[in-house]
Amino acid sequence: MAGEDAEPGDNRRPRSVYGVGTEPDARFSLANERTALAWVRTGVGLVAGGVALTSFSTFADLPGLVDLVAAVACLVGASCATYALVSWRRNERALRRREPLPAPGGLPVLVVGVVLLAVLIAAYAVAAGLGAAASLP
Amino acid sequence: MTPPEGARPGERPSPPERDEGLQPERTALAWQRTVLGVVVGALLLAASGLRAGNGAVVWAAGVVAVLTLVPSVLRPPDGRLPSHGRLYAWSFLVRVVGLVLALAVVGAAWALSQAFGGP
Repeated sequence: MAGEDAEPGDNRRPRSVYGVGTEPDARFSLANERTALAWVRTGVGLVAGGVALTSFSTFADLPGLVDLVAAVACLVGASCATYALVSWRRNERALRRREPLPAPGGLPVLVVGVVLLAVLIAAYAVAAGLGAAASLP
Repeated sequence: MTPPEGARPGERPSPPERDEGLQPERTALAWQRTVLGVVVGALLLAASGLRAGNGAVVWAAGVVAVLTLVPSVLRPPDGRLPSHGRLYAWSFLVRVVGLVLALAVVGAAWALSQAFGGP
């Protein structure tokens, strides 16, 4: 692993990335950094959405299902942030070895997760709306 | 952003170049947006905890906000390519991701405690 084509004097961490290949164009590394940051921001957005949902549910006295959805949103956000590190590492390795970039495997998972969250919240909204309509005189 | 600790002896670092694609500026702005997002998320959590009277949540969120904000104020990204051409993204990324994870864990724990009949 480490040592193949590693540049002398380069002691940056992680060694699994900087110990292989040669230095790529700094612009490519910067683009990789921005992509990782975009994943972090996606995670932050999900976490903030979950926090907003659970605080709203506390104040409006909504059922526990909403809190559960909020917890799932927080955990999915945490996974997005972790994926940022994983994908940065994979992409930087590929850049250093002049290999094609790996496919963004987290993207379909994220899309499915966001669609699921949206469907859950929409289903809850419809059920609550129907319940409120039925209780009208 | 960082000292040229990896520069080879006897090698004079050339002055930082400007990139016509403005990539360093965009990266610096991406960092600012990310830091801002984490701080806003932490403040949202702190405000909710304050309103709900949950002191532990307020403290945790406040600590995350301070730990996110302080390094970015002490060493703001300057939007230039480093003179030695070596970028140090990993440690910064790990720190920000760690703070987001802390925020997520506090938020999820609070939500779960609400869902299962906690205070």
